[in-house]
Amino acid sequence: MIASSHSADKKVYEIARLKNEVKEMRSAFVDGRSKLMRLKMESHVIKAMKGKGLSISEDPPKKIKVKAKK
Amino acid sequence: MAVNEKGILNRLYFVAGCMFIFGLAVVFKLLSIQFLQGDKYKVMATERVVKDVIIPANRGNVYSVNGNLLATSIPKYDIRLDALTPSSRTFEKYIEPLCDSLSKYTGKSSSKLEKDIRKARANKNRYYLLARNIGYSEYIRLRGFPLLSLGAFKGGLIVEQTTKREHPMGGIAQRTIGYERTDDQGNITRPGIDGAFGIKYLSGVDGQRKKQQIGKGQWKPLNDANEIEPKDGYDVYTTIDVNIQDIAHHALLKQLELYQAEHGCVVVMEVKTGEIRAISNLGRTSKGKYYEKLNYAVGESHEPGSTFKVMALMAALEDKVIDTSTVVDTQRGRKRFYGRYINDSHRGGYGKISAARALEVSSNIGLATIIDEHYSKNPEKFIDRIKEWKLNEPLGVSIIGEGKPDIPEPGDKKWSRNALPSFAYGYNLAITPLQTLAFYNAIANKGELVKPRFLRAVKEFDKNIETFDKEVIVKKICSDETLNKTKEILKNIVVRGTGKKLYSKTFSMAGKTGTARTEYWMDDWEDNPRYISSFSGYFPAENPKYSCIVVIHKPSIKVGFYGADVSGPVFKRVAQKIYTDTPLIDEIESLDIKIESVDNEYEAFYNTAQTYKTIMPNLIGLPAMDALVLLENMQVDVKVKLDGNGIVKEQSINKNTKLTDNQTVVLKAS
Repeated sequence: MIASSHSADKKVYEIARLKNEVKEMRSAFVDGRSKLMRLKMESHVIKAMKGKGLSISEDPPKKIKVKAKK
Repeated sequence: MAVNEKGILNRLYFVAGCMFIFGLAVVFKLLSIQFLQGDKYKVMATERVVKDVIIPANRGNVYSVNGNLLATSIPKYDIRLDALTPSSRTFEKYIEPLCDSLSKYTGKSSSKLEKDIRKARANKNRYYLLARNIGYSEYIRLRGFPLLSLGAFKGGLIVEQTTKREHPMGGIAQRTIGYERTDDQGNITRPGIDGAFGIKYLSGVDGQRKKQQIGKGQWKPLNDANEIEPKDGYDVYTTIDVNIQDIAHHALLKQLELYQAEHGCVVVMEVKTGEIRAISNLGRTSKGKYYEKLNYAVGESHEPGSTFKVMALMAALEDKVIDTSTVVDTQRGRKRFYGRYINDSHRGGYGKISAARALEVSSNIGLATIIDEHYSKNPEKFIDRIKEWKLNEPLGVSIIGEGKPDIPEPGDKKWSRNALPSFAYGYNLAITPLQTLAFYNAIANKGELVKPRFLRAVKEFDKNIETFDKEVIVKKICSDETLNKTKEILKNIVVRGTGKKLYSKTFSMAGKTGTARTEYWMDDWEDNPRYISSFSGYFPAENPKYSCIVVIHKPSIKVGFYGADVSGPVFKRVAQKIYTDTPLIDEIESLDIKIESVDNEYEAFYNTAQTYKTIMPNLIGLPAMDALVLLENMQVDVKVKLDGNGIVKEQSINKNTKLTDNQTVVLKAS
């Protein structure tokens, strides 16, 4: 009885620790993701590329599509 | 006292009696605690170690249309220092390196930080704040600093974790994505999508169960019949497109900063479905910076000015009282209506022009004349048309705080004989930018007026809880004939009308400029004129995909105030962005194409490569790209220097000369 109660307590500590870990990882994930999101934004890319003399194209990309043979 | 036997016995009895009474008292007290007050103490005991714990439900996330996170809940950290915990030896050893690290982190000077922390120690401050509300990566960094890395018991580090709502996009579209905030008085503000759908979908239901304290601040769950499982909030998928939103936000910001305007908004809507792809609202702070202050596009109804001329002309066209070719006399830029002058912005006026041209050049007199001439006897007819288009009612969008339109009718306080001609060019009535946009969208959408939408679906993981479909407000606002005529004029406005500065050869757009006076009823207007500059339209002009409205309030007139100058560029930038993002697709039937010249060139190149292994070939006339390949793949190791690019014009070594290792060949190309 006492032993099983203690083992239950142990599990509670373990769960609390893991929960914290999950929270931290989630936080790290969102942190990284928002950083990536900001880096990916076109306005940021335009700024970053200005130094290299690159700017956005006036024309859209052209796609050549080969029609599937039936 | 006697020392005989009896005396001794008596004393003994007395002491024994006292002890007996004392024993009885103890037993009495024991029994009274156990049975008389027992229940009370038992309850108190359980209360201290067992309690009902509320298990908070996780709030759902808000996603963009492409699945990017727009709002989510993550833990944030407050870092504090117990300045008394570290021993003086540790404290003295680490205080300087700690302050150096902190100084790098905060930008404050190291000596100032050291002074503050020493003061905190002297004042026995066990709760000294180092950083508030920081993200995970910053928390990890701070935790690694000297002293703090020693932990709670040696270093005195205190970490407090709270769950905060985070917008990974930062300030962009913050007002529309929204949040829920409770202030000190307990009042809750709920702007935007997060606010509007907070209670219904995002918040979820908190759970509850009994828990027992087991030390280290942990609570262990107990068997509980009344246990309630928490129900996490649903995820909300919006219609916002991060890429378009980003461009719209930054284009608007640039224009606001350039014109030092008070505030502005831009909304981009998909024509067919009414889904809002981007919405940005920026207002100026007292320091001249801009941020998402209020949802102007949804909440602010104002006099639309010239963008309303389109509605006026369409009403007249639909009622067939005029045609686009009907000639209207705009006189010399100044005309009297019922004792009041109406002016055109173009000095000297436009003279006699067609109704279509009047809209192209945005002639106030032209439109006022048309409407006054044909509706002054029966203004209800015009107002009925506006009502038919539902411009007199709010759109009923899901965001809280939609602005109410104001269209006066005969008999109202605001009604006068001048009201009707004022209507014609967008004064004496008020509608929201979103309403104007929805109407222009209807023109682009073959007459179908759809309700602007911010939400696509509400989901629990992958399961749809609720989906939102297109909502049609008016099936067809007018005949195709009127629509086509209007579209033609809107297209021409950008080609040769007030919007011609925006014209682009590569992509087409259609729309109407607007430059409305605002606060003109105030006495100081003449000294300090204020305007609302707007541009509303859609693109591409043929087969429109998106409609867009840009409204900028009170630009600095020293820089400019015309709709085409102030708001137009934002519209153009968004149109350009969407144009350059959509690939042009060419289709071909098959990859087996024989072109003789290409085959011949390939043969010639192959032959040269096979023949000339150590001897200089004739490279003149070849593309520099091919010439380089030929030289670098020879059996001798030559160094090639290429000037310019294109077709090789000169070679420093004549053809058929034997080449040696490390020889330099100079090619000139142009």
